[in-house]
Amino acid sequence: MNSPASDVILSAHDVAKSFTTQAGSLQLFTDINLQIRQGESVAIIGPSGAGKSTLLSLLAGLDLASAGRIEIAGQATDQLNEQERARLRSNHISFVFQTFHLLPELSARENVLLPLEIRGASDATAKADSWLQQVGLGARLHHHPSELSGGEQQRVAIARAFASEPDLLFADEPTGNLDEHTGEAIIDKLFLLNAEQNTTLVLITHDNQLAQRCDRCLRLHNGELVELQELDV
Amino acid sequence: MKNATLLRLAWHQSIAATRLPIWRALLLALTVAIAIATALAVLGERLERSLGRQTADLLGADMILHSSRPLNDELEARARTQGLRTTQALQFPTMIEAGEQLQLVSLRAVQSPYPLRGAIVTQPQKAGVPQPGNLWVEPAVLERMNLQPGDQMQLGYAAFTISAVIQSSPDRGIGFGSLSPQVIINRQDLENTGLLGPGARVSYRQLFAGDDAALSQMETELRAQLATGERITTLNAEQNFSGGALNNAARYLRLGALLTLLISALTIALSLRRYTLGSQNRAAVLLSLGMTAGHLQTLFLLQLLFGWIFCALLGTGIALGLEQLTLSLLSGLLPQPVPAAPIALYGLGALLGLMILLTLGLPPLIAMSKISVMQLFRRYSPPDTLSGRLLQLLAIGLLILLLMLYLDDLLLTLILIASLLVTAWLLGRVGAYLLRRSAYWLAAKHTLVRLLRLRLQQQQRWHRLQIPVISLLLALMAISLWARSDLMNRWQSQLPTSTPNHFVINIQQHEHQAVANLLKDNGLQSALYPMVRGRITGLNGQSLDEALNPEQRKHNSLNRELNLTWGSAIPAHNRLVSGQWRNGENGENIISVEQKFALELDLDIGDRLRFSIGSHVLEGTIGSIRAVQWESFQPNFYVIFTPGALEQMPVSYITSFYASGEQRKVSRDLIRQFPTLTLIDIEQMLNQARDLIGRLSDTSGLIMALTLFAGLILVFTTLSQELEQRRYENALLHTLGATPKQCSQLDLLEFGLLGMICGGLAAALAEIALWFIHQKLVLIEPVLHPLNWFLLPLAAAALFTLIGLLARRKVDEHNSYRLLRELR
Repeated sequence: MNSPASDVILSAHDVAKSFTTQAGSLQLFTDINLQIRQGESVAIIGPSGAGKSTLLSLLAGLDLASAGRIEIAGQATDQLNEQERARLRSNHISFVFQTFHLLPELSARENVLLPLEIRGASDATAKADSWLQQVGLGARLHHHPSELSGGEQQRVAIARAFASEPDLLFADEPTGNLDEHTGEAIIDKLFLLNAEQNTTLVLITHDNQLAQRCDRCLRLHNGELVELQELDV
Repeated sequence: MKNATLLRLAWHQSIAATRLPIWRALLLALTVAIAIATALAVLGERLERSLGRQTADLLGADMILHSSRPLNDELEARARTQGLRTTQALQFPTMIEAGEQLQLVSLRAVQSPYPLRGAIVTQPQKAGVPQPGNLWVEPAVLERMNLQPGDQMQLGYAAFTISAVIQSSPDRGIGFGSLSPQVIINRQDLENTGLLGPGARVSYRQLFAGDDAALSQMETELRAQLATGERITTLNAEQNFSGGALNNAARYLRLGALLTLLISALTIALSLRRYTLGSQNRAAVLLSLGMTAGHLQTLFLLQLLFGWIFCALLGTGIALGLEQLTLSLLSGLLPQPVPAAPIALYGLGALLGLMILLTLGLPPLIAMSKISVMQLFRRYSPPDTLSGRLLQLLAIGLLILLLMLYLDDLLLTLILIASLLVTAWLLGRVGAYLLRRSAYWLAAKHTLVRLLRLRLQQQQRWHRLQIPVISLLLALMAISLWARSDLMNRWQSQLPTSTPNHFVINIQQHEHQAVANLLKDNGLQSALYPMVRGRITGLNGQSLDEALNPEQRKHNSLNRELNLTWGSAIPAHNRLVSGQWRNGENGENIISVEQKFALELDLDIGDRLRFSIGSHVLEGTIGSIRAVQWESFQPNFYVIFTPGALEQMPVSYITSFYASGEQRKVSRDLIRQFPTLTLIDIEQMLNQARDLIGRLSDTSGLIMALTLFAGLILVFTTLSQELEQRRYENALLHTLGATPKQCSQLDLLEFGLLGMICGGLAAALAEIALWFIHQKLVLIEPVLHPLNWFLLPLAAAALFTLIGLLARRKVDEHNSYRLLRELR
């Protein structure tokens, strides 16, 4: 996992995460080391309960590690205050979730507009509309999530993720709530846009086929993160 | 992030939130709190200004001397020489006649100038006092007798024309009489009516107005020589209005309102907590999109503000409606016009609502910002923060401060809150115990009940809140309903049907025989008792000051003129308890005294009482002691002389009789033939009292309805707290093979049991409170209310079921699997 430091967008050094439970302290993982370069696509796989989502939340700065250091775009997340971490997320990071997480009271356009407005982007409406066009929802700008199918909702979520032109896109089981056919279409769109935008993609999945489409594949198991050279499909 | 964007987002979020039951519950609770706080503040202030702190315009003068005896003309001359303006008014209850109809009214005879302050407002507008031959009436008289201005009315011997309707008038007098519909005539006409006989119950008033120095000098002089039966009312005097019933009603209203406020505050706190927990996902999404925690808090605060604006407008509007409704219910009972409240008071509820919302709304927001985005996504319950706890304490402090403002008494407020909390705690414990026991008992009978026991364990902490709230509210409602009807029933049903319903006083010596004949001709049984007014002035040769202790000297019978009578035999409705009924020998006057009166003044057979009757002084020796049934509505006397002693004194006669159906026209004949006697229709009087109590309890009913509504919102909120737990449980039961019907049965069983227990506790509480009220306050025989024990549990079970069904979303086999995946 060695690579030139210059174009590394995300790195983890000796990262550990533990939880306090009723039964005592639970060590989810220790000594996680990782470097991801700009434009790479990386899949993280592993059995349920291995801590994939927790690792993603640490890598994305949504949570703080119990030990170790994570750097996003050269900034150590544990050195930033809450506001600076929010700015870091706003400027560099986007998410696509398994359960879409669209705001139900906002239309498709307004949902895509949201991250642009949060960062105060200019020409936000035009950008939002253009991204919705790109995911094939140009005719559904004013529809609310409840009026859209699961696949359409996930496409709005993808448009929202790319609209803020992120350096890093985190996707947590993006097809987990979709049928196979819709899921494939969504993944095609995700990879296509990722290639076009030169975004770094970090993907969490159970699906080995999907993991194979990524440049690199890491497995989290028994608290260890191992880079797989070949994936047994 | 731009402010406009935040505002827009907050607006969208607010609109979206109105679809959530928990947010609706919050808005409803806040609206009720604002409405009740505003209505209470405004009404309280207006009633207090109207009743407690009299203004000169309501008093009709700067100072008034009240007396039960005619006032000396010398007083008037003295006031004038001191530079004061002064005038006299007389007031007494009497029957007024128009055609076939008789109506009990409070008659006020006035002379110009009157009033000295303020003005009588009439329709059509008239200045000064009624012209001789004319009278002014309050609308109630016209309504009840179906009359119009211009019609004729008869008062005693004199006929009058109704020349105006009174819209408002100062100086309505004091006591129960002032609550009867009023009629005002010119003092000059009083003589012609012939109504002022020795037996008339007249209240004489001397009104004064002028500069402070002269008034204060006059007051000092008057107070120095104030006789018994006289009192002075000034602008500074507290509580001029002896409206005990109104004061009690006001106290009851306040209690209801306080409870509503406390319940609403609890609902607001719980629903805010629930809403914030439910919004964690939204917060996590916004934070993951790069929103700062500061902006997130602003966003939620803005949403609270939007909610507040809506509730403030609606709540204040409802308060205005309540104010108008209450004042119209009380319109006949309050001196008109009721003074306005300061405008600022109308904003009090809204301000309080904002403070409650902020102090209770901020803690969960602050707590939410203390955990990571990932924890928010995972619906991790944030721990309480120090600043959150401080804000909650501030909210409690604010509530206590508000309660103190309403009650004007710190100790009373604290005692009230403490006793409410202790009662609620006890009810919660007892209720939860009963719930457990009954589930344990039922478990042997039905499989489903075993699941119920699990349910009860999970919901225990909410049950401990729901049980006291619903039991207390139902008990309060039951108490207010029963207290009223018990009193009415007591008046109506516990008196035998032949209990006299007419009193005739002021029958003159020369009319005595003719009145007796008229009554006899109409088949009415009645005895006419002679009556002489006299005062007790000594005991066993000593003055009262020497013979009695200070406590005894305060006895009601010693501070006024007593009605004395004579007879050769004990009245049929009295019972001899000691001594003998005997006639005087050797010029000795023998008297018979009432048992309780004798006991309280420590009188015994052989004691001698001295009486002043007009300018005469005479003594009587106690020969017997009688038991008197005061409620018999027969003429009753503390003291009865043997014949001979009083016969030289100015005498009038008194009687009472029971007339029904056709016989009732005898009252009209009596008034026609003997216009100067005073006839009191007890049924009309009871009807007026009933009307008074009815209006007061309608007013409190309004507040109680709001209180119950607040309680129901709270129950709804508490049921919503663990809704997901319930939904998850039901969904799990579905997948394990339970039918939707069984799941509904489990819910119904829980609500039914809860209802039964709350209803039972409420019935027990109401029974205890009513026993106390009957025994200590209204002094009637306590009765049990079996209907309570049946209706309250049913009502409570129905309420729980209704709210429960509203709160839980339908769970059926189609969505249970999805629910299980979503919720875990």
